[in-house]
Amino acid sequence: MTGMDAILQGGLQGYLVVAFLLFALGLATVLLRRTLLLQFMGVELMLNAANVALLAFARFRGGDAQAMVFYLFIIAVAACEAAVGLALVIGLFRHRDTTDSDRAAGLKQ
Amino acid sequence: MFITFALITLLGAVGMLLQKNVIVAGLCLVAAFFGVAGLFVLLANPVAAALQVIVYTGAIMVLVLFVIMMLNSHEEEKAQAAHPIQRWVSVALIAALAIGAVKLVLASPGLKALAISGAAVPQAMTLQKVGFTLFADHLLGFEVAGLLLLAAMVGAVALTKRNL
Repeated sequence: MTGMDAILQGGLQGYLVVAFLLFALGLATVLLRRTLLLQFMGVELMLNAANVALLAFARFRGGDAQAMVFYLFIIAVAACEAAVGLALVIGLFRHRDTTDSDRAAGLKQ
Repeated sequence: MFITFALITLLGAVGMLLQKNVIVAGLCLVAAFFGVAGLFVLLANPVAAALQVIVYTGAIMVLVLFVIMMLNSHEEEKAQAAHPIQRWVSVALIAALAIGAVKLVLASPGLKALAISGAAVPQAMTLQKVGFTLFADHLLGFEVAGLLLLAAMVGAVALTKRNL
């Protein structure tokens, strides 16, 4: 399987292309949207793109279990990030009554 | 099958990027996460697919949707100032990154060799295999992850509590 065929049939390249496009879409969400909650979702999407690439490589290396361990660690870090990030968004909303990242550009109120 | 799940994933992500309503964007992201779980099943990894659904769509996205509804910020606020140059530069950079990465993936001979040598579908990942690897080779990392989760929990409570 090579080239276009690999993408359509689900070869290694197909999964990597999906992972890269997911990462680009997550990055676009972080850069182009202003709502902090949406930017946060973009970060989650980028973490997921890394997971797709990791597990695709593991499958094509004969079902390597090491990748699953790293996947578990990435999930743990993503869960921590979700808890702390959302707490920060709530804190910002309490202080400035906004969830717009442009309105939270300054350190002083 | 692959192309179906890939399309669900990518269309969900595009929906999140373009959607005006934050809750609908969150639900688009849920669709994208389900698509990723489907990709994990195709990668002979049902454990990862189950974890994906439980942790991402079940825990993280529910938490995000709770916060959206709690803050009552369904719509994106009006822009204070338009930043057309920054926006177009970032769009161009992201497009260049995506196109460049896809081209690199398609041109790489190493990936092609790996795709051919690993084409046979391996045995499906089992919890037993994951557990052996986790507790035999990565015990310290496991403990550190537990500590990190505890610290995040304490931090989240400390950040959201009004008067500690």
